[in-house]
Amino acid sequence: MKINTMTKVTAFELRLFSRNVINMFFLLVFPTLMLLLFGGIYGNQPKPEFYGHGTVDISVPAYAGMVISITGLMSLPLTLCEYREKKILKRYKATPIQPWSVILSQFIVNILMTAIGMLLLVAAAKVVFNLRFEGDLASVIAVFYFSALSLYSLGFLIASLAPNMKAATAIANLVYYPMLFLTGATIPFELLPKVMQKISQVLPVTHIVESMKTVWFGDSIWSAWPNLLVLAGLLVVCTALSLRFFRWE
Amino acid sequence: MIKVDNLRVQYGDFVAVDDISFSVAPQEIFGIIGPNGAGKTSAIECIEGLRRPYSGEVSVLGLNPWKDRKELHQLIGVQLQDTAYQDNARVWELCQLFSALYPNPAPYQELLETMGLEEKKKSFISSLSGGERQKLSIVLALIPNPKLVFLDELTTGLDPHARHQMWDLLLQLRAGGLTIVIISHFMDEVEAICDRVGVMENGRLVTQGPVSQVSNKFNLGSKITFTAPQLQAGELDGISNVTSVSLNHGTVTVLCQGEDCLPEILTYLRDKGIPYSNLSVTRPGLEEVFLKLVEQSKAQSG
Repeated sequence: MKINTMTKVTAFELRLFSRNVINMFFLLVFPTLMLLLFGGIYGNQPKPEFYGHGTVDISVPAYAGMVISITGLMSLPLTLCEYREKKILKRYKATPIQPWSVILSQFIVNILMTAIGMLLLVAAAKVVFNLRFEGDLASVIAVFYFSALSLYSLGFLIASLAPNMKAATAIANLVYYPMLFLTGATIPFELLPKVMQKISQVLPVTHIVESMKTVWFGDSIWSAWPNLLVLAGLLVVCTALSLRFFRWE
Repeated sequence: MIKVDNLRVQYGDFVAVDDISFSVAPQEIFGIIGPNGAGKTSAIECIEGLRRPYSGEVSVLGLNPWKDRKELHQLIGVQLQDTAYQDNARVWELCQLFSALYPNPAPYQELLETMGLEEKKKSFISSLSGGERQKLSIVLALIPNPKLVFLDELTTGLDPHARHQMWDLLLQLRAGGLTIVIISHFMDEVEAICDRVGVMENGRLVTQGPVSQVSNKFNLGSKITFTAPQLQAGELDGISNVTSVSLNHGTVTVLCQGEDCLPEILTYLRDKGIPYSNLSVTRPGLEEVFLKLVEQSKAQSG
């Protein structure tokens, strides 16, 4: 597989992604809107219930969970399912490229757009609310990408198990919305009742939010090991199941 | 070009393709016809390197289509049955993408012009008609600069004018050196463009050969129609080899088996002084062969 061909396939997929208005809105506009809304209401003054951090300070690393979920649980599985249903994957099989390179290009496009969504959010928070950042940038980036990889494996599993587009959409929504609201990815985790906090431990995005917050506020990456271990487990299990169940047509 | 020996495809216990053998010569247009579920697509997918044969030998352009599939895919063009493309892509973007996949692509601008799609170059796939999508499929199949193309149900969904255009185009491409394998449901299509045809039914290749030869093999006789309002029902039944006579508002349709019974019918009409007009004799075509096969396979399974 030539790098040049891979670049062109990825550029093509990137162009199509940018035309998907719903994806673009939820990825690039919605997180910032939410931040402006909550930041506008609560401001960004340090608060005791947030261990001395402001509402915006604590929301930005948590929103990483939302941004990753949009691509990982919606865009990626739905696109792969659509490509299978329309026999686009099969059509690629009849060309000189390896069919998995189409899937790889989807991963790349989604990861890239997720990073852009996150950067926009950080920029808005910095400009409007003077966001505070106390962590190590390399650790934050590492946790961000590892979280994305882990959640993408779940998205890939959805694409592998769903028999068609309708089912994929239903499953994706069923997984996406609890992840959005029960994990601290939109509503600060600290504001959830204790019972909900316990329940949300089974949702992978909770662990994304927790580990992001850990490194964002300056703790070492190793102190997030229980969360990262859960994400690693998810990655291994989903990848293994996907390899077993994925169908090209 | 293509050589298939004792190809067999199985899904679990179900035998989709049962021991078929045939070959396709360079610059030939070879048609595969047969009822739904006859195994046509399964067979062709083995030849395209998209499916692994259960047993048998297949050789395409000297390659083993399964083991050497990526090498083969550089050399062949493929149109798959009901492939859709990304709705929010533009025609030229897909053409450009496919050009990037092949080592030696044909200029897609020319292909779009030949197919009458150059005005749609900037259109989104979602805005194309069924016929335009099929034409785009052909363009994408020709981008590799192939020596051999496979077209699965090429003209399904096209209007009669577009179908005739497509046939002319295929004949033109063949004249330019291309070898073409088509799968079709439409007998007029196969008769119009194929040099040879293979008829599949229940996974087997029932017969193959030049189109005229294949329909003769089924010994379907001929159909004679004429207008004769004075003719009474039952009058022609006595003539030898006549299998059925039907009268409809003065139009008489006679089916004959084996020996030509036209002279005897004409003699009868002249002797009785019955006037007739609009006489025509039709040789049975693949359409009848096809219908007969469907009947046979229904009789077997039911």
